[in-house]
Amino acid sequence: MAEVKLTNIKKIYDHNVVAVHDFNLTIHDKEFVVFVGPSGCGKSTTLRMIAGLEDISEGTLEIDGEVVNDLQPKDRDIAMVFQNYALYPHMTVFDNIAFSLRLKKTPEDEVYERVTRAAEILGITEYLMRKPRALSGGQRQRVAIGRAIVRDPKVFLMDEPLSNLDAKLRNQMRAEIILLRQKMNTTFVYVTHDQTEAMTLGDRIVIMQNGYIEQVGTPGEVFDRPRNLFVAGFIGSPQMNFFPARLNRAGDRYTVEVNGHTVELEEERAALLRKHGAGSAEVILGVRPEHLTLCDDGEDSLDGEILVNEMMGSELHLHVRSGESKNVILRVPTIDLSPEKRDRLVSGAHIRFTFSSKVTQIFDPKTEKSLLWD
Amino acid sequence: MSENTAKRHMGLRASRALSNTLIHVLLVVMSVVWLIPFVCILLQSFRVESTWQVGYVIPQKWGFDNYVNLWNTDFPRWYMNTLITALVTAVLQTVIVLCMSYTLSRFRFKMRQPLMRFMLILGMFPGMLSMIILYRVLKDLGLTQANAVPGLILVYVASSGMGYYVSKGFFDTIPMSLDEAARVDGATRSQVLYKIILPLAKPIVIYTILTAFMGPWGDFVFARYISFGASAGKNVAVGLYDWLSKDQINKSYTLFCAGGVLVALPVTLLFLFLQKYYVEGVTGGAVKG
Amino acid sequence: MKQYSDLEFLRLSRGQKFLYRLLRFLIAIPVGIGRFFAKIWQGIIAGAKALGREIKDIAGTFAHGDWKTRTSFLVMGFGNLARGQILRGLLFLLFEIVFIGYMALTGGYWLSMLPSLGLEGPSETYNEILDTYTTAYHDNSFKILLYGVLTIFFIIAFIYTWRQNVKQNRIAERILASGKKLKSGKEDLRSVVDDQFHKTLLALPLTGILIFTVLPIVFMVLVAFTNYDGAHDGYANNLFTWVGLKNFNTMLSWSSGGGSQSYAATFGEILTWTLIWAFFATFTNYFLGMFVAMAINKKGIRLKKLWRTVLVLTIAIPQFISLLYVSKMFAKDGILNGFLLSMGWIQQALPFWEDPTWARITVIVINIWIGIPYLMLITTGILMNIPADLYESSRIDGANAWQQYTKITLPYMLFVTGPYLLTSFTSNMNNFNVIYLLTGGAPTNPAASSAAGSVGYTDLLITWLFKITTGAESQYYLASVVGILVFVVVALISLVVYNLLPSIKNEEDFR
Repeated sequence: MAEVKLTNIKKIYDHNVVAVHDFNLTIHDKEFVVFVGPSGCGKSTTLRMIAGLEDISEGTLEIDGEVVNDLQPKDRDIAMVFQNYALYPHMTVFDNIAFSLRLKKTPEDEVYERVTRAAEILGITEYLMRKPRALSGGQRQRVAIGRAIVRDPKVFLMDEPLSNLDAKLRNQMRAEIILLRQKMNTTFVYVTHDQTEAMTLGDRIVIMQNGYIEQVGTPGEVFDRPRNLFVAGFIGSPQMNFFPARLNRAGDRYTVEVNGHTVELEEERAALLRKHGAGSAEVILGVRPEHLTLCDDGEDSLDGEILVNEMMGSELHLHVRSGESKNVILRVPTIDLSPEKRDRLVSGAHIRFTFSSKVTQIFDPKTEKSLLWD
Repeated sequence: MSENTAKRHMGLRASRALSNTLIHVLLVVMSVVWLIPFVCILLQSFRVESTWQVGYVIPQKWGFDNYVNLWNTDFPRWYMNTLITALVTAVLQTVIVLCMSYTLSRFRFKMRQPLMRFMLILGMFPGMLSMIILYRVLKDLGLTQANAVPGLILVYVASSGMGYYVSKGFFDTIPMSLDEAARVDGATRSQVLYKIILPLAKPIVIYTILTAFMGPWGDFVFARYISFGASAGKNVAVGLYDWLSKDQINKSYTLFCAGGVLVALPVTLLFLFLQKYYVEGVTGGAVKG
Repeated sequence: MKQYSDLEFLRLSRGQKFLYRLLRFLIAIPVGIGRFFAKIWQGIIAGAKALGREIKDIAGTFAHGDWKTRTSFLVMGFGNLARGQILRGLLFLLFEIVFIGYMALTGGYWLSMLPSLGLEGPSETYNEILDTYTTAYHDNSFKILLYGVLTIFFIIAFIYTWRQNVKQNRIAERILASGKKLKSGKEDLRSVVDDQFHKTLLALPLTGILIFTVLPIVFMVLVAFTNYDGAHDGYANNLFTWVGLKNFNTMLSWSSGGGSQSYAATFGEILTWTLIWAFFATFTNYFLGMFVAMAINKKGIRLKKLWRTVLVLTIAIPQFISLLYVSKMFAKDGILNGFLLSMGWIQQALPFWEDPTWARITVIVINIWIGIPYLMLITTGILMNIPADLYESSRIDGANAWQQYTKITLPYMLFVTGPYLLTSFTSNMNNFNVIYLLTGGAPTNPAASSAAGSVGYTDLLITWLFKITTGAESQYYLASVVGILVFVVVALISLVVYNLLPSIKNEEDFR
């Protein structure tokens, strides 16, 4: 139940290795913020600095209006869930959850109350007397969460809590975290490398790379309006397709030309391009796989040769070679695909496809920034 | 074809049986070789017809005379000296080794690497060199000769911090995230140590106690230097060594055997009892280097 | 030398590959040593720079500091006291008072005598009334050297503490300037078990190491540059004093005095045997121990636990008992000879301890008896850690048992136990117990025995060192020189091997 404010936070290790550059972010009270990025991007380091497990090299960290840079973790009133659970192997589940309360000399009656309540929320009441090693991965995960929620902390930190679980369990726990969040009503900071988790859990997502924040925004914002190539490629699965393309300006109107196929941009995009003063230039065009649509021969469209056809059930993923682009991916919903048509989509077959200008992203190839960023 | 295959199968089975038999024979022979000295020492300790060294093993006359005679020598005193030294050393040395290894495993402070390198270099000096000065200093403090026991304890314990490798290796295997979780849960560094780490480090604590306890029973050099001629300050190793010197061996050979049995018995039993922990310690230590 | 690329190297024949590797190895040694000295040089430069920075910082603290800070330069802890950090201030002040008191009372004396190690030795005065000579004792070289070194330690500690005192003022000024509060004494006390807990834990062990390991080593290294021995014991007989490098000259010169062998030759002989011994003691144990472990581990072997326990017994029984007893078993009139004679297999007793070559082989063999159980324990654990699928895959690839051993087991073992082998080698070089309890160095080496101590054929450097100090002349200075040389040899071997060990270079290979 607190605001977390990071101002100019930096982490510099020995030999001047910089892990986090100038991190600025205000996490509002009761907000669920997800740090996401590839490994080594500094997301965990930032989280650990909030927890007090790493020293802050520069900048200030405030929790609930108080500067906590020099406070020990125990004095910050935070709870944390670790990737490998970090359950105390020699203690029972009950003792694990009760550990922090007992350290604060909470009366045993109250400890009992709170631990059993937390156990009930997480559905682990029947395991309270077991040792962690007698639990399955999912149960351990619940105990780790139980250990955190029993504290009723100001801030709830989670460091890749789901990455040690198998795919099915991960989906289940993800849903439970969303439910938990509704019950807890506190500030969450969540670290993950999985963009799906980030998109589904976060009120806001912080996308990081090489120690820099690339973009902060709601899931919708980062998906629809990626600020640069990295964000565009990182968010969304399968990845966004990138084509080398030519942007042409004629007065107030813009067209993009890809492999000889020309599409005119609609007004909203043209307005943004005009605002940037973009002229005719080489650009990188980004289109998400679900926005590429198959079309019939003869239409003005792109052509390609199918390399691999992946049947996913509700949709087909077609990996296509088209002109200079070696791996263009199309997501084709199977529902409105006739069997005959589907049978024709085999490797080696030639197809034609196109895209609507409403869904395109346009990037400057040198700065890798989006030309549609407002 | 199938006949051939059958032959090959037979061959494989036969050669495996042969090699297993050979290994069994070898192990039996080895066990005999390894046990002979201890059987001899046990048998000779019951020999009463003579006290000097003889060329046969089975006593001609059996009896407990040697054990009884031990009471009339300084042996009980030596035994007590060693026992006290071993007990006190076991406690203090364990505390020091654990402090040292826990710190070097868990804390990242500026002087950590230099400190470890420095101790590595220190360890390359022959420890025996220090004896001369330690003897003189302890003598000035009145902790030598007859008072060798506290002096010896001091020497053993004081430098025991150097032997941190094995237990540090063990601590390194306990995940760091346990410490971190506990600290986030509100534990101070010292609470992390005695609430989380120590309960998990039981095997290595037992290993450290065991080796610290066994050390003084076998130490010869320092004990001899510091007790320097005074019988009241000797430990069993020094005392029994002197019984085998040229001028005493004829009188004390069987006494040595009886004394040896009495020394070996408790230590061996304790060791066999805690063998599991010892094995864990040496294996981990060797892999860690 | 030509450097091959990976693909070129693969085209070489087996012999060429071996030669290439060998050459690279031989070149790596001087390069490594050179790099080591370069590192030391860099360290010195970095140290000098750091010192410069410190001095600048101290000057800066004085120039920009307020009067509380400046007073602290003279009166330690004043700044802390004036700013309300009573506990810290008092500790600093107390330390300064103790230091000044010590230096004024005794430290100054020890320090002033250090260059000479004492001016006035014991003197005898004739007492006319009693008609006897009474001896008056004056300076004590031993104490001067010991307390001189201690005083220097103390001065270094004082300078460090003074620097901390100055630094704290600067930090305190900065904290107060930014409007924050300083830590109170209560908080300081709490940090002793929390964020400063490592200092608390290390205080006792490091003090012990400083006084009982570092101090003696520094002292004994210094003794190598004096003439400290039985006749110059620094107090009762004669004072001892600095002699420069004379002892090293004695030890390392080949010229022999009066027909006897030179010290250098004796040292060379003992060093050679020490290295041979260490080599055999390490590797015989290693391979035989591994063999026994594999034999016991083998599928189809019964009573595994029994065999292990029998072997482990030898570890449990204090070494001095087993070694002393076994030593007597092998004696001329011992059980072994008695048995062989009575069986009529030999006509006269075998000279286990009397003949140099017999003695050397016997100690190595007995050491195998001592060492196998230990190595068996160590290797059992590691052998079990070798992933079983490596063996399964190699069997499908068509490897037989011997090939599996040389291509999988041995490389894995050597990789994992590399550092252990190194420490084992160096500790065997200093394996006092086995040699001293088995042979005491015997049989005597007549040619070398004119050197200090009585030198035998099985003497290691470490037992020789012991004999020198306990010998009639107690030539501590020579023992000290030998000790330093042992250190040099051990350090050199460690340095070379350590830099070549694969497990240190590429830690992840087998993970």
